[in-house]
Amino acid sequence: MDIDINRLAMLAKLQLTDDEKAMLQRQLPDILEYISKLQEVDTSGVDAKAYLTDAVNVLRDDVITSTRAERDAVVAAFPKQVGGAMEVPGVFAA
Amino acid sequence: MTTNWTVKSIRDSVNAGSATAESIVDEAIRRIEEKDGEIGAFLEVFADDARKAAREVDARIAVGEADLPLAGVPIALKDNMLVMGHIASAGSKMLADYRATYTATVVTRLQEAGAIIIGRTNMDEFAFGSSTESSAFHVTKNPHDTSKVPGGTSGGSAAAVAAGMIPAALGSDTGGSIRQPSSLCGVVGMKPTYGRVSRYGIIADGSSLDQVGPIATTVEDIAIVLSVIEGKDSHDATSVVLDDPASENVSSSLAGVRIGVPKEYFIDGMDEDVAARIHEAIDTLKSGGAEIVNMSLPLAPYALPAFYIIQPAEASSNLARFDGMRYGNRGEGAIEESYRSARGAGFGAESKRRIMLGTFILSAGYYDAFYKKAIAVRAAMKMEFDAALKNVDVIVGPVSPIVAWGIGEKMDDPVSMYLADVFTVSANILGIPGISVPCGTAHGLPVGLQVLGKSFDDNRVLQVAAAFEGLHNAS
Repeated sequence: MDIDINRLAMLAKLQLTDDEKAMLQRQLPDILEYISKLQEVDTSGVDAKAYLTDAVNVLRDDVITSTRAERDAVVAAFPKQVGGAMEVPGVFAA
Repeated sequence: MTTNWTVKSIRDSVNAGSATAESIVDEAIRRIEEKDGEIGAFLEVFADDARKAAREVDARIAVGEADLPLAGVPIALKDNMLVMGHIASAGSKMLADYRATYTATVVTRLQEAGAIIIGRTNMDEFAFGSSTESSAFHVTKNPHDTSKVPGGTSGGSAAAVAAGMIPAALGSDTGGSIRQPSSLCGVVGMKPTYGRVSRYGIIADGSSLDQVGPIATTVEDIAIVLSVIEGKDSHDATSVVLDDPASENVSSSLAGVRIGVPKEYFIDGMDEDVAARIHEAIDTLKSGGAEIVNMSLPLAPYALPAFYIIQPAEASSNLARFDGMRYGNRGEGAIEESYRSARGAGFGAESKRRIMLGTFILSAGYYDAFYKKAIAVRAAMKMEFDAALKNVDVIVGPVSPIVAWGIGEKMDDPVSMYLADVFTVSANILGIPGISVPCGTAHGLPVGLQVLGKSFDDNRVLQVAAAFEGLHNAS
């Protein structure tokens, strides 16, 4: 299977070294070959569900239960904050 | 390895006033200081907070609180469980300095029951691995042979219990991460039914697979801890109200119990001595009165490939949040470059491998062939399992096809490492309960018997495990 490591790394937003790319180029096809075994299973007529429990639409009341202090603790844990909010780099190039 | 250092014995002596929680914590810290230099099970010991919490438990008992289910019991947490104000790093450089801003529900329940959170234990980064070698911090050694891995990903929790440092720990199990290290370290470890225990405050790996559970030295201790942590939590929509809660009074009768032995659980390439121990264990269960039913689960061999699609897909999605904006160290440059550099610097090799694999599996053109196929196989496996378990109460087999291997032996061969999970992933794929209980040694290293049950039939799994434990210890 052909894998474009650079494109995948771009999609995954991962910076990789040349060594890491070479290792993944070697290992990912082995893993994909192994997991491709699933194609042997006939799943026609199977009602595929992503979850196994019978629970549907577990709802709660739309009320705020957390405190201002909890919110402030979350913001304080961000790598960079300004004025009680998260500071991020510019989305558009200057 | 160490007698009389059980959850039950400690709890009973603290409740009875014959020991204080503070003295128990002092003893746990002494044991950790004595042994952990060699083993490396802990990433951090919360010595000050543990002593303070112990004095609070002693005060609760002094004012008349009686029968605390975990009075003064020191319990360690895998490093992916949040305790407000403490670091929870998930074994990753990405979160090396991250301090939790809230506390996981399981931790709150332990504390209310009188347990003392003693520290956080080593794990494979973000719970990806089978040996704890993928920790960004250090290697943890198997207490039975320090040249061997403890298994993983909850390797620190299993090693700390096996070395007798603490009576119990919590782990998390996404594909075997409680049962496999428990097997390799010769202790008891249980993955409860998906939905039985809250995942609130646990750093997510594969959200449809993850479940928290206890590691201890006896089945009774597992039941005691499970009875405290389980149950509906409004913060986890997948947790449920239990009709049949766990009880520490585990029956150990095998009368009328039907035990299935699937032939797919004995594979080519499996260690012959491990297989021999499992067959002996099955004979033991039979001699104890159980009916043994040979059976087949033809789709069982597809559990592992399905797992290595579903898990990386879910994990790569969960790990998208680690971009240097909200957690970890901010990357360099404009926003896209900042994401890439933060993630490139913060994640280790196995995490990068799973993220790349998950991204590939979910990418346009491959989603149907891999992810959708795996979800369909999962549904087919569930139908097969539900039908097969109409005829038996539990199934048994090995936890791991091999005993603990040498440190470094499998690090360059991911597929070989993934095969260590071949018998454990089914429980996560199906959401069912499973336990590892020691059943002897092979090549001088521990072997674990796995008991798997129907969804929410965790008490039956505990019953069969307790029965086996009693028969095995008496033999």
